[in-house]
Amino acid sequence: MRILLVEDDAQMGPTLQNALSQAGYAVDLSVDGIDAEALGDIEPYDLIVLDLGLPKRSGMEVLQNWRSRDNHVPVVILTARGSWEEKVQGFKAGADDYVAKPFQTEELLARISAVLKRSSGVSGGPLQVAGLRLDEDAQSVQLANGKSFTLTGTEFRLLRYFMLHPGQVISKSRLTEHVYEYDSDRDSNVIEVYVNRLRQKVGTDVIQTRRGQGYIFGSA
Amino acid sequence: MNSLKRRLSLGLTFTLSLLILLQWALITLIIERVTETQLMERLESESEGLLASTEFLPDGSFELNALRLSSLYQRPFSGHYYVVCSEQSCKQSRSLWDESLHIELLPSGHKLQSLMDGPRNERLFTLHRGYYKQGHSLTIMVGQNISELDEDILHFQMLYSLVSAIGLAVLLVIQWLIVGKALQPLQRIQKQLSRLRRGETAKIDAQGPEEIQPMVEELNRLLNTMTRKTQRSRAALGNLAHALKTRLTLLNQTAESSELKSLPETQAALLQVSRNMEQTIERELKRARLVGSPMPGQKVDMEQEIAELSRTLQLLYRDKSPIIDWDVETGLLFFGDREDLLEMLGNLLENACKWCRKRVNIAVYQDSDCCFVVEDDGQGCNENELSQLSRRGFRADESVPGSGLGLAIVSDIVESYQGEMLFSRSEMGGLKVMVRLPLRL
Repeated sequence: MRILLVEDDAQMGPTLQNALSQAGYAVDLSVDGIDAEALGDIEPYDLIVLDLGLPKRSGMEVLQNWRSRDNHVPVVILTARGSWEEKVQGFKAGADDYVAKPFQTEELLARISAVLKRSSGVSGGPLQVAGLRLDEDAQSVQLANGKSFTLTGTEFRLLRYFMLHPGQVISKSRLTEHVYEYDSDRDSNVIEVYVNRLRQKVGTDVIQTRRGQGYIFGSA
Repeated sequence: MNSLKRRLSLGLTFTLSLLILLQWALITLIIERVTETQLMERLESESEGLLASTEFLPDGSFELNALRLSSLYQRPFSGHYYVVCSEQSCKQSRSLWDESLHIELLPSGHKLQSLMDGPRNERLFTLHRGYYKQGHSLTIMVGQNISELDEDILHFQMLYSLVSAIGLAVLLVIQWLIVGKALQPLQRIQKQLSRLRRGETAKIDAQGPEEIQPMVEELNRLLNTMTRKTQRSRAALGNLAHALKTRLTLLNQTAESSELKSLPETQAALLQVSRNMEQTIERELKRARLVGSPMPGQKVDMEQEIAELSRTLQLLYRDKSPIIDWDVETGLLFFGDREDLLEMLGNLLENACKWCRKRVNIAVYQDSDCCFVVEDDGQGCNENELSQLSRRGFRADESVPGSGLGLAIVSDIVESYQGEMLFSRSEMGGLKVMVRLPLRL
């Protein structure tokens, strides 16, 4: 596993590089944004540990540039600011995980290994049914007319289930079972509320009600 | 009476009305005077003419030489009349026809003007004069019907009043427009100010009149300075945090070094110190960079921010993958600092995600305040813990890492916005945190 470590601190960079090497990774160290961006594009790294506060070009910008060029190498962000704004921005820019300084080396190693495991798993393309396109990463849906909506947690789960079972009559209790994995108070009224909210976003016709039976998604 | 426009308008309306009224009265008076004087002069020359055409006969009677008189005195009821009387007899113009006017004899040199009722209800303006001719005293009355003249004057007055009224109305409209136009820049500035307050703009663009412009510029300069100062101090605090935390990471690494592996107590002590310092830095720096009362020129699309925060939290808690549902009143905007909002909601949601079993709900709505309700379906707190949480001057238990620091930061933010934070049991089972921030405006 090859890792690019981007850290400008003269003391911390080499120490971390050492620690990562000891953990069994092949580690390249880069100390500024421009150099790191070029390296990340050229070399086939399995993962990049990216500090955000870099000289010459900020880590956030480097990450955005990689993603805009379809470079999807897994990136773990290191940052000292720890503000939520930066966290949101980092994930929006395409980071895979986030470690706030000060951290302990063990913590960083655990995160790196988790991201690596995840990235090797299969990730299917976007789900497209009945003119809707579900972006599972962004948890948003794009309609046939190009409009797109972000979905709340329950809305996303509901729609994904519907889109995986188009044309089937799905009862409320089945929805409840598949949307919430644990024993929740299975109140079907709650499901109705969320289905209605979902309809407001994707259109009323897409999810039809079968009286006494449940819902049907897409063309029957 | 504080509106400039109203004050100017009222003042101008009053002076304009007064002016128009005065000149109307003056013109009316002058017209009357001039007409009367002219009439008087005419009657006097008529009177002189009559005197000249009077001839006394030796028997004391007199005759009027009709040829020298105007034909107006011959036509019946022409409106022009005379009566000439000596001590013995009176002669009157043919125009009086069968009517007769009675006059008093006046001593020579006396003059009298009066209004008399003439034939056929005419109103006569008359001049009586006493003369002395050929040893006899003589009184001549010349009169003219002024009913028509009166009517003409009335006509004129009415027309003139109408014109004056229209003129006044037009002037008032014009002055109203002028005032409006002159105050337009102020209105633009007013609009910009309310946009500034709502956070739709960062500075006042409108050009004011010379008198106001310096104030606008000064305000812009202050806004600019304030924004730059905030940005600078935030950047400085960011750098400070960066430097301190990088050093702390180094300290951690030193503590973890192989040389210290053999001294587990020293290692633990070092890590503990590092953790404590981290918490102090985190809390104090975050408190220091709070904006508190919102900066102008900022508004936040709440639903957008919450959607992004939820996604971030889902990535952070990927293993647990909590279901985060939100219910945000449509079109709700937060008129405050975006970073403050993110910091507050981020910490609240992270807390909820940390303790929930599977579900987290956030509702944002607006009543008298801007309200945020975050609930989870976890274990929640017992009454004792709830009251501890609600205690004023909430402080994190800094001896236990990661416990309560988030809530302490939220409490700082809420305090800086002069809001309040309430804790209760959620119907979902876990903790329900309600934050109320007073609305600005």
